[in-house]
Amino acid sequence: MVYAMAEVPRRSASWNDVRAALRTDLSAGARRRRARRALNGYLFLLPALVMIGAFTLIPFVQGVALSFQSWDGVGRDTPFVGLSNYARVLNDNIFWASLKNAAAFGLIGFFLGNALSLAMAVAVNTGPRGATFYRIAYYVPGVFSVVVVGLMFQWLYQPTVGILNRTLTAVGLAFLKHNWLAEPATALPSVGATYVWYHWGFGFLLFLAGLQGIPRELYEAASIDGAGAWQRFRYITWPQLTPVTTIVCILTLLAALQIFGTVQVLTNGGPAYYTEVPTLRIYKEGFGSNRFGSAAAMSVVFGAILMALSVAQIWVSRRFGAEVD
Amino acid sequence: MAAAREALARPAAVRAGVGLGRFVRRLLFNGVLILVACWALFPIVWMLLGSLQTIQELYGSVTLIPRVPQFGNYVKAWNEGHFSTYIPNSFLYSLSVVAGVLLIASMAGYSLARLEFPGRNAVLFVILAILIVPLPASFIALYKLLVFFGLANTRPGYVLPLIAGGLPISIFILRGFFLRQPKELEDAAVLDGCSAWDVYWRVMLPLAKPGLAAVAIIQFLASWNEYLLALVIFSTNSLMPVQRGLTQFTSSDTPEQHILLAATAMAVLPVLVLYAFAQRSIIQGIMEGAVKG
Repeated sequence: MVYAMAEVPRRSASWNDVRAALRTDLSAGARRRRARRALNGYLFLLPALVMIGAFTLIPFVQGVALSFQSWDGVGRDTPFVGLSNYARVLNDNIFWASLKNAAAFGLIGFFLGNALSLAMAVAVNTGPRGATFYRIAYYVPGVFSVVVVGLMFQWLYQPTVGILNRTLTAVGLAFLKHNWLAEPATALPSVGATYVWYHWGFGFLLFLAGLQGIPRELYEAASIDGAGAWQRFRYITWPQLTPVTTIVCILTLLAALQIFGTVQVLTNGGPAYYTEVPTLRIYKEGFGSNRFGSAAAMSVVFGAILMALSVAQIWVSRRFGAEVD
Repeated sequence: MAAAREALARPAAVRAGVGLGRFVRRLLFNGVLILVACWALFPIVWMLLGSLQTIQELYGSVTLIPRVPQFGNYVKAWNEGHFSTYIPNSFLYSLSVVAGVLLIASMAGYSLARLEFPGRNAVLFVILAILIVPLPASFIALYKLLVFFGLANTRPGYVLPLIAGGLPISIFILRGFFLRQPKELEDAAVLDGCSAWDVYWRVMLPLAKPGLAAVAIIQFLASWNEYLLALVIFSTNSLMPVQRGLTQFTSSDTPEQHILLAATAMAVLPVLVLYAFAQRSIIQGIMEGAVKG
């Protein structure tokens, strides 16, 4: 029974627990068992730590180092160049414009996408006939790859025989026809519309989960007090959803900033640089111009922005996490 | 009170009015739901229908249903567009990633849930922190690492980083699963003299099957759809997965539209089949990953 008594509390094994356990008088056998258990713990973790270390942590650290070096993408020679990569990034107007474009996609997703997500989540949550079908159908776009989505919309937006322009002609709105992806004025909104179509289902699912977590009694009480549908939404649903809304908003922004493949397929950043986005810019700087040093510097700047947003998201989830579950 | 609850159980739109007004409201409400579903599904349906048409049908007047379904489009894309290479490649990569992530993440998850050792919380924190490192911020450096190790443009050079990328979230999901299992079975196995590996392999893994399934499905989807790394790493056609193959197809072979649509459909069909069978796990995994990640 010594074994059972010496057992470290199972719930959590913080340093304090370990220390407290070690203070108790242990028999030699129990101590050996504990040591073996700890060794097993490390052994079971080892493969994961090696993989994450080699392919996530080291590249991350190396990326920062590379941002102070010059590399052509082929040789082993990576001379130190100080801050010149950052100077280059600072003067790269296209990079900063690409951040602005990504922010524009973020705002489009933020307002259009999230409004749609929320409205449809509220609608489906009332339990209409076919609610299960709607839940499944609305998320279908989310399972496709960025390339597939790009190719599908390229075909819809096709200037001469694409269904969008053909429909406009058929209903007598031919004057609204555009070469959607090639005109400066329509390229960004067209890519933005694609983005909304692709990603709104994600917010929809999260809002739906959030709505299902709101206690029914609140609505019952409000109904008895004579609150209408709008008042119930305004004074119960909306405030109760605050944590989910915050998370959805930050995740939308994060996803929009990282948009890449869809844009590469649809416009490759064009016309000119009207739809250039940061990841595409970094890719072109490295693999197009063979300036991997300044590409790494861009990655550091861009990565810092993304990680600041992620930290904000985690902070928010932690603060409201209990309510979300 | 009971009546009020019953009224609440019915959809808001039904309760909202009476008679004709109620009918119109209901019609509008359901109309919007259906309209949005059509909008969500239309591009896919349009692509699938187009993939079965002749080029004359595509470029002639608007055709919805192909007169004679042109399965030849698929054959042509399969053979001439190298999709006979890309699609098996994608299956190979995705299944390798799933196998690697399942094994490594379940071991780590088990360790973090059940085995006590100093520094456990620190490891947990590091793994959580890694979740926020975005690929766009590190793919240049990852490429450099792969070049220096001679792994660029190789199969392991693609699979290993994808496994590493899938680990953190999978470890968290599986750790949660292990934490929720009762401890009695494990204790009994230990008393019977099972080694730690036996406890993990024979007792814990079978218990965590639903969690493993969720992780497998999410990782399969993610690897099948992965594009950025494939774009960066591969320059040899015979090694490319299907997403990379698709952009290679459009840029180097400049295919006709009907063949391109067939190729796109081929890249999508495995995902659609998986979604049809496993949508519950997928949706649940996405919700959990986002809220708790």
